[in-house]
Amino acid sequence: MTSQDTCIIIHGLTWAGSDLPCTVVLHDGIVTSVSTDPVDVQQLVPDADVGALVIDARGKLALPGMTDLYARLREPGLTRKGTIASETAAALAAGFTRVVCSPDTQPAIDSVATVELVHHRAAAARGARVIPMGALTVGLDGEQLSELATLQQAGCPVAGQADRPLESTNVLFSAMEYAASFDLPLFMTARDAQLGAGGCAHTGAIATRLGLPGIPVAAETVALARLLELCRETGCRLHVSRISSARSVQMMESAKQDALPVTCDVGLHHLFFTDEHVAGYDSLFHSAVPFRSRRDREALRLGVASGIIDAICTDHAPHDRDARLAPFPATEAGLSAYDWAIPLILQLPGVLQLTQAQVFEKFTAAPERIIDGSARSGLVAGQVADFFLLAENARIEQRAVVQSMAGMNHPLNVHSAASLGLDTLRGKVTHVFSQRRMHDLSKSKPEVPAGSEDGGW
Amino acid sequence: MSLPDPQFNIQGKLHHFIDLDGLDRKLLIEILDTAEGFAGVNDRTVKKVPLLRGKTVANLFFENSTRTRTAFELAAKRLSADILNVDLVTSSTNKGESLLDTLHVLEALQCDMFIVRHGDSGAAHFIARHVSPNINIINGGDGQHSHPTQGMLDMFTIRRHKGDFGNLCVVIIGDIKHSRVARSDISALVKLGAGEVRVVGPRTLIPADVESLGVTVYPSLDTALAGADVIMGLRLQKERMLNATVPSSSEFYRTYGLSPERLALASPDALVMHPGPTNRGVEIAGSVADGRQSVILEQVNFGIAVRMAVMSIVMGNSESLRHGELSA
Repeated sequence: MTSQDTCIIIHGLTWAGSDLPCTVVLHDGIVTSVSTDPVDVQQLVPDADVGALVIDARGKLALPGMTDLYARLREPGLTRKGTIASETAAALAAGFTRVVCSPDTQPAIDSVATVELVHHRAAAARGARVIPMGALTVGLDGEQLSELATLQQAGCPVAGQADRPLESTNVLFSAMEYAASFDLPLFMTARDAQLGAGGCAHTGAIATRLGLPGIPVAAETVALARLLELCRETGCRLHVSRISSARSVQMMESAKQDALPVTCDVGLHHLFFTDEHVAGYDSLFHSAVPFRSRRDREALRLGVASGIIDAICTDHAPHDRDARLAPFPATEAGLSAYDWAIPLILQLPGVLQLTQAQVFEKFTAAPERIIDGSARSGLVAGQVADFFLLAENARIEQRAVVQSMAGMNHPLNVHSAASLGLDTLRGKVTHVFSQRRMHDLSKSKPEVPAGSEDGGW
Repeated sequence: MSLPDPQFNIQGKLHHFIDLDGLDRKLLIEILDTAEGFAGVNDRTVKKVPLLRGKTVANLFFENSTRTRTAFELAAKRLSADILNVDLVTSSTNKGESLLDTLHVLEALQCDMFIVRHGDSGAAHFIARHVSPNINIINGGDGQHSHPTQGMLDMFTIRRHKGDFGNLCVVIIGDIKHSRVARSDISALVKLGAGEVRVVGPRTLIPADVESLGVTVYPSLDTALAGADVIMGLRLQKERMLNATVPSSSEFYRTYGLSPERLALASPDALVMHPGPTNRGVEIAGSVADGRQSVILEQVNFGIAVRMAVMSIVMGNSESLRHGELSA
């Protein structure tokens, strides 16, 4: 991390979506000029201010900082799994400069004190900017509404129930009416409180063979239908967080055709993995929103490509090692995401049949519109720099990834890319410019994380 | 794509006995043939062979069981092993000790083999992946997943009576969804080439996509029983009535209970089997359970020989691996 009180000249970078290499000059973290004129490069670089930092970014792609719509930062209360410092550093290293933090901390983010604690720790951490999601109900118990307007004023632009069930339709109806009064978007996971409760895998042939308690598709669609009808009734801005089934994509399509104020996202890993990965009781694939069938995965991919699914989140869920050391149903659900987000995202254009710019839109403009109602502009003179440099073709050795975060519960920390049906892993973030700071990740040495010698999980 | 099957050692020999899914037909036959040899031992006046002399076998039961635990205990004793019964239902795991910590403590006691029963599906896989490599794991039942020694003793019983699996029509009745016995039986029957495996029960007790296991689903018991050579009942747990999967035990008996009248629909020499304990008047009529065609008690008896076979095979593989390493 470098304090940005000087001038930084970055030359040779290619801005996403354009072909021309350009030169960007930053003063105190603010973009002062952007030029694609090659003459400028010649003039600027040798004549640079004394003390100016010159970054040779030839061959590197510059991309706007990404926004993650769902991540667990584990602080306060669950710091054995991760901290705001460790997880926001990991987010930044994956190109995410803004992260929506799930309220399922201990205590939940249901009071101004907790919001302030999160903001305070995030500011001290100097990693990705943290956007706390307010807990919809006190303690996420699904009964009493949190002080949503107060939380909104304290800096929670969205509220939600995390992965906890909200059993009472009455409470949900009230919550949505109340949130609509303050134009507060609700991030809701479609999951019935009873159906599939206790389940740990998609109901289907794999769970049947393994004898695992299942989570049927109807556990999602029944809850989604309730959310959509209450959205229709209340006019509340509803963002459905992490849909997992083909049927949900259809339901979202029809809700959008009815012009309901709804958006939705899908978890990054749900575009790659299916319930087949669970065979062999590999708890690294135990996800709260389960990995479903190939057919569902295909529908999710098509949903993203067609725009029915607005955005992609990481669903980052770091865990301590002990959380995984149990028989499959007894393990805690969730995959860490930031350790492998960039190499996976770079495979999405092929998987989704979209351009790279269209894919990154799902991590930038789309989530920003969902949170703020508007998207930030790209690289514009006069604005605070918020972008990262990516060595797109840098090959990543699987055992040598920098692990700044506590949880490393990602399948790629154990399985080869080929064995998971993935292409060669490529792509490394070298510099991140955010919040008027520059983070130089190019020199960081691969760290061998503690406890890795036992072959992981 | 998924984790490797932990059941085999570096020589590709059976090291743990966890799940019939990963085993081939040849190995199943080998187990049955070995068990035939031990069945003779059980009929002798001195019912002991010295194959596991000096070895310590620990029964680790994280879930209540009398029948399975006793059968394993007897099997170990007839192989001359020392047997340790560790009651974990009321013990350390209830004090918050993790499963792995419990295992490591028992490892430190220098046991050679763990017989494990656990309420979570996949528990035996998990344990096999985390114990030290010189310990053999035998799955005594994991959650709703697998009960492989029960599966093999059922196959042993069928083979004793029917000789071959090729033309057999086997009907499994009742709670397939929550039954580890049903999964192991289906897996073994399909591998051994049974002519047809039918499952029958209300939809609430039939798991999703069960056809993918190689069975045919029948909605009506009467239809399913036509031409059946083997009829396997399953225990209906009391809690199924509480969570709305079955309205009452009497309705279950009326619709899916094996009554003498229904039994008459099957082949005249059809075998009646049940893993026990039976609920008389729920899944099976008392007169059928005690009747001429019932082999329920034979299953119990053969269970000892089959468990002796499994224990001696995995122990033998470990011994030859150890000797191989010494000579190498």
